Parts: sequence; structure tokens; C-alpha cells
Amino acid sequence: MPAQTNNALKISLTVVSKYGTLIAMAAMIALFWALSPRHSFLSMTNVLAVVNQSAMTAIIASALTLVLVVGEFDLSVGYHASLAGVLCTGMIVRSGFPIPVAIAAMLAIGAVIGLVNGLLVTKAKVNAVVATLGVGTMLVGLTYGYTQGSPITSVPAEFKQITLGRTLGVQNPIWIMLIVLALLWVLLNRTALGQRIQAVGANQEAARLAGVRVDRTKNIAFGIAGCGAALAGLMLASFLGSGTQSAADGYLMDSFAAVFLGSATLRDGSFHIVGTLVGVLIVNIGFNGLSLLGTPVFWQYIFKGGILVLAVALSSIARQAAKEV
Amino acid sequence: MYGEIQVDKVSKAFGGVQALSEVSLTLRPGAVHGLVGANGAGKSTLIRVLAGAVLPDSGQILIDGKAVEIGSPTAASNLRLAFIHQEMSLIPGWDVLRNMALGIKPHTHAGIIDWRPLRARAQAVAERVGMQFSLTTLVDDLTTADQWLVMIGRALMGESRMIAMDEPTASLSAQEAGKLHAIIRSLTDDGEAVVFVSHRLDEVAGLCDDVTVFRDGKTVESAVGRKLSKPELVRAIVGGEVETVGRSESAAVVGEAVLAVESVSDRKKLRDVSLEVRAGEVVGLGGLVGAGRTELARIIYGAEKLTSGRVLYQGKPVRFAEPADAVAKGIGLVPEERRAQGIFLEESIAFNINIATISELRARWLPWLKMRKGRERAQAAADLVTVKAPNVGVKAGKLSGGNQQKVALARWMVDRPQLLILDEPSRGVDVGARAEIHRLVRQFAAEGSAVLAISSDNEELEVLCDRVVVMAEGRVAGELQGQEITQARILELSFNRESEGE
Repeated sequence: MPAQTNNALKISLTVVSKYGTLIAMAAMIALFWALSPRHSFLSMTNVLAVVNQSAMTAIIASALTLVLVVGEFDLSVGYHASLAGVLCTGMIVRSGFPIPVAIAAMLAIGAVIGLVNGLLVTKAKVNAVVATLGVGTMLVGLTYGYTQGSPITSVPAEFKQITLGRTLGVQNPIWIMLIVLALLWVLLNRTALGQRIQAVGANQEAARLAGVRVDRTKNIAFGIAGCGAALAGLMLASFLGSGTQSAADGYLMDSFAAVFLGSATLRDGSFHIVGTLVGVLIVNIGFNGLSLLGTPVFWQYIFKGGILVLAVALSSIARQAAKEV
Repeated sequence: MYGEIQVDKVSKAFGGVQALSEVSLTLRPGAVHGLVGANGAGKSTLIRVLAGAVLPDSGQILIDGKAVEIGSPTAASNLRLAFIHQEMSLIPGWDVLRNMALGIKPHTHAGIIDWRPLRARAQAVAERVGMQFSLTTLVDDLTTADQWLVMIGRALMGESRMIAMDEPTASLSAQEAGKLHAIIRSLTDDGEAVVFVSHRLDEVAGLCDDVTVFRDGKTVESAVGRKLSKPELVRAIVGGEVETVGRSESAAVVGEAVLAVESVSDRKKLRDVSLEVRAGEVVGLGGLVGAGRTELARIIYGAEKLTSGRVLYQGKPVRFAEPADAVAKGIGLVPEERRAQGIFLEESIAFNINIATISELRARWLPWLKMRKGRERAQAAADLVTVKAPNVGVKAGKLSGGNQQKVALARWMVDRPQLLILDEPSRGVDVGARAEIHRLVRQFAAEGSAVLAISSDNEELEVLCDRVVVMAEGRVAGELQGQEITQARILELSFNRESEGE
């Protein structure tokens, strides 16, 4: 093969591997815009609705991203979010704590639960999948024990307003998401801690020998994931207007899907915050578009699983091929 | 009875390095053939050629007078050549029988393994090599010597005409080694050809019927059916013509002891090691691979626990829980395995250089890092060590080995630790970069830091160091200073064993 075509092939493969998910997202947007009744897909209302639907998943998934960057796993985030939802509403409704106190308590408890995950992994040397699955299952138990099986209702309007309200015409969850994402992006890319997190994930032994405290770095990443899970969980409770057991369990799969979709975006298979956001958006754009078109719900799930597997597979195949050309 | 295995003018080059050049030797059935030589002399490459792991560039292998192609490990095993490699390859948690049966194609009934013939075969092998333990013992519960028996047993499970053993006695006591020798003798009595690689020269002198000495990829001495004495072996290994390279004399005034190691032992390898490194001097740590030098460096650096003995840093006893503690105190380490431990291949040069001192880049008022300062600082360090790259944003994985090593070194040029430990600083590095690295290390010491440099390249020690401590089998075998530092002396000490009372 002449060198020029070779080069062109290599470039196009690299483009597919790095921008494939973005191209797919653009294609989906164009398709839904063209097919939706009165082009309602790209109406301001619908665009904001899609992003709003993505907000809580994006928060939990971007916090989870740090754990994956550091080279570990956290399977407890969904159950953790459910627990935070019922505990937060319970503190407000049952025990009469002020809303800000309840929220602060959730974030603090979230960090502690994350830290427990981290210590099990770093100090007790339990495999992260096992440790976080075990902790997550115990959290389910705590949730049921606390609610005694019935959801916590009659939540004050101020609490609901946190996620139902708007600021400058935009839904509050979108603002919260943007702030959390910006904070985590800066943390990961512009702080010493973030560089250490990346170093541990890139090569744990090299990081250790370069003077990075590997265990401490991992514990902090788990702690942040715990905070993210708690925040998303209490936001969901506010959105639903009740603390319901297992309400947020589904965030586990959604956030993992988003993080892995994101790893196939812009980078060579490594996890990063912007990619995670793209991952969340792709899934929600697909869900929203398909329902606007009146597609049966089962298709929406097949789409969700399908695009995850397809995007990651295509990106990794294109990357391999680009290397071999 | 099998015939001979002949290696005929086999050559093999890796990159620019001639690992084997026109090596010829004959492995006789019923004889133990010793392969000796310094690290990198070509013994292991020859074994890998026989095992089908490496294809020779030229030359051939003849078995029973016929040329054979050994293109893969399977081909080697079909030719009834068995290998016991240096690293233990037993599967922990499995019992002796399962470990021995590994690699044997078992009889199966509808996919279910029939263990009876395997067990019978293993039992016969166990008796042959004199295993004093049951086949159901977990290999984890065995001593190192018994684990070797299991490895030999595995090699004997299939039909074999030759068994090659790479340093089988390196981690055995004298008594255990003696037992192994008896087993080897019983194998050769049955007509097996045994290839025996060892650094223990007295053992080679006593056990081997034939000996081939390697130096720089060539066979420099071979004795068939004749014993070579230990002094003869040493002479052959070291060689007469040791070239003398201009040694750079220390310019710095040697100061206070920065590091003092006092009677450090670990449970595995190190035995009562003591040494001292002073400010302004480069101390070399010589010896053979496996002498315990890396282990010592890791203990000093806090990467491994200090269990027995003392480490004094700047006069005070220290016990680092993790390397970060050592780094905080002003110690740096450039590890042996560059790609696995030294460098973040997927990250930029700047990332690689800045990571050890990243917190110094914190902005004063804002919670983030001064990225531009980081880049400038990394660029300055990279320029200092003359990394060849367009800029410090380039991924480290894209650099040559020599440049990667310079990046690993540049990491410590930012803060200039008081003690720098280098583990094989110029392994896999081209000649130009090597000279450059030596210059940098000398300069680093001249500015008042202490350097401990581990190297298996004796020429490097000769050129680079003010003082060389040679280790052998976990002990300090001797110390050389100034004009005493010659490649020959280092090599001699490397083969020194305490049991010989030298």
C-alpha cells in the first residue's frame, strides 16, 4: 500500500477511535431533529429536559470516574445513593433537622462510606469489586431497616424546590451538575491530587516509587465517589418528593455505562470527566429521542446497552487498527 | 540411548547487541554440561534458542546428527527437550500432582480427566527423583529445594532426552544443593543430557563433566570430559584483556555519611549487609543479578519493609513506611525496570518529571497548579539531562529507551535529593546516552549529593564510581576503592561465596 493511503487510513481510524462517540451523538441529534414531530427534539424545552434528566447520573458518574481513573471500582454507588435519599428525607421529615444540615450530613456520611470502601481495598487488600459489592449490599440493608419498607413522604416543598426549581430559567439540577463537573474537572486535571490520581491509575508501582502515597490517593478517590453518590441520591429524593428505598439503584448501571462510553471519547480508552458527560448525554439523548418518536420502551433499553457495547468495541477496534496500519 | 545434541555456529543479535556469535558446543547423553559466564554473556540466550523461545539468526541445532528446526516451545518439547527456568513456575495453591501434570496432555473420558495414569506416572517420577513428600501436598507448603524437585519432576513427566536447568541452586543451601546434585547424577546415569547453568563455580567444577565458558556472546573455553578448576574458570570468565577506560576521578570533597546501612538482613536474600555512602561520592553496588542489590535499594527507599538491621540517613535511624516518606526526606530512586516501574509511558514528559514534586507547583491562593510553571520546570530539567524530544508535552512512551531513562533521571533533577539511588542506570541505553547519564551522575555528586549506583555492567562501575561495594548471594563480598576498581576484581568478588572462606 502506498504510504499516503496508509497515512490517510491511519488518520481516519484515529478519528473514529477518538471522535466516534461524538460523531454518533451528532448523528443522533440530527436524526431525532429530522424525525421528531415539528422538529420538537431541538426545542429549548426539550434540550433542557434532556440535560436535566442527565444531571444526577452525570454527577454520580463523574465522581465514579475518579475511582476508575485511579484503577479501582465502586459498585456501591447506586445503593449508596438510595440510602442517602431515604436518610436525607428521614432526617428532615422524621427528625426535623433543617434541610442544609441534612444535606451536609449526607455528604459527610457519603465521604465516610466511600472511605470505608477505600480502606477495605487499600488496607485489607480486598478486591474492589468484592469490597464495594459487599458494602453496597449492606447499604441496601440499612436503607430497608431505616424505612421499614414504606417510603418517606410529605417532604417539605423547600426540599423539593432544590431540584424542581429554576435559576435564570434553567433547572437547578443542571446548575448543580455543571458546578460538580467543573470542580471535578479542575480537581483531576489541575490539582496535585488529580495528578497523583492519574499517576496511580497509569502505573501504580511507578507512582509509588515516584513518592506518591498510593493508598491515601485511592482512599480519597473512593471518598469523592461516596460524596457524589450521596449528592445524586438526595437530589433524586428531592426530585421524587419522597425517600424511596432502591429509587437510585439504577444509577449503578447508568453511571458505569456512561463512564465507559466516555472512555471511548477523545482519549485512548482512559477515563475522564468530559468523556463521562458525553457518555451520560448520549444515553439520555437516545432515550429522549426514541420516546419522542413513540418507540416502545423495550427498544430504549436495547439501544442503551447496544450503544455502550458498540461504541466501546468500535473505538477499541479502530484504535488497534490504527496502531497496526 | 539417545545421541548427541550439537549446537553449530549459532548466532543471535538483539538490536545492535550480539548476544551469541558462532557458538558451538555438544551436549552428550549421560553427561552434565555446565554453562558459565558473567551476566549477559549469552548463556540464557542459548537456552532460549534450545527452548524454541528465540530463533537464531544463523547456525543450526543438530540432534542425532540431523538438523532440526526449533520454532516454538512445542517443537522443543516434541524433540524431548525439557527446561526448568530460573523463575519458579509452579502454580501456588495447587498440589504437587497437578503441578507436575501441567503441560501433559491427559487421558480423558468425555472431557473428564482420568487422573489414574497421571498419578501412576507422577508416582514413578517421584520415586526416581526421591521426593520425600506426598503428591497431594500443596506446593506452597514445600521448601524451595523441594519445589525444585517438583519442577524437575514436571520436566520428567514426559519423555525427555535433555533437561536444561537455569541456576537451580541459586536459592538453595549447600546441603540442599548437594541433594540436587545427586539427583542430577542419577538422571545422567539413565542417559539423560543435563545442561546446568550456575554462578557457583565450585559447584560447576565439582559436578559438571563438560564445561563451556561464555564471554560477550562467544564461547571462550570449553572442556569436554575434563574438569576445570575454579581458578581456571574465573580466568576464563573474566578474560585476560580487560580494557581500561579512563576513570573520572572524583572532583568533589567527600563529606559526611549521608547513608549508612548497618547489618541489614531480610528473610529472603540479604544477610548482614553494611555499607556507607558519603556526600559527594558515587558508590557502586556490583555483583551478579540476584545478589540482593535491588532488594537492598528497595529497603533503603521504603519500598520494602526493613525487618532486621538499621538504616541511618544523615546520621539518624530511619524506617520509611512507603517511598513517599523517603522522597520527603530527600531521597530519590531510579528503578531497575524502566517501563514497569520508572516511567508513565502514556503520560507526557512533563507529567513524568513533575509527579514526584507536584505539590510544589500549587498556586499560592488558588486550589490548582501552576501549569505553565510546571511545563517550564520540566523543560529545564529535561534540557539539563538532554532529553531529545520536540517539547515536554510528548508522551514518554514515544521516546527511545535512553531518553526514557533520562526522563526518569530528570525527575530527580528538579529538587536535587541528597541521596540518589540508581538501579541499573544505563541498561538498554545506547552508548551516547550512557556517557551522558554518567556525566550527569558525576556532576550530581560533584555538587554534594550522595549517589548509590547499582550496576551489573562492571565497566560502568569502573568508569562511574569512586568506590564499589560488591555483593554476592546476599552478602557484601568486598569493597574496592580508586585504582582497585577494575572489571576483573569486581567479577572475581561477584563469584565470591562466604562458604569458600575467601
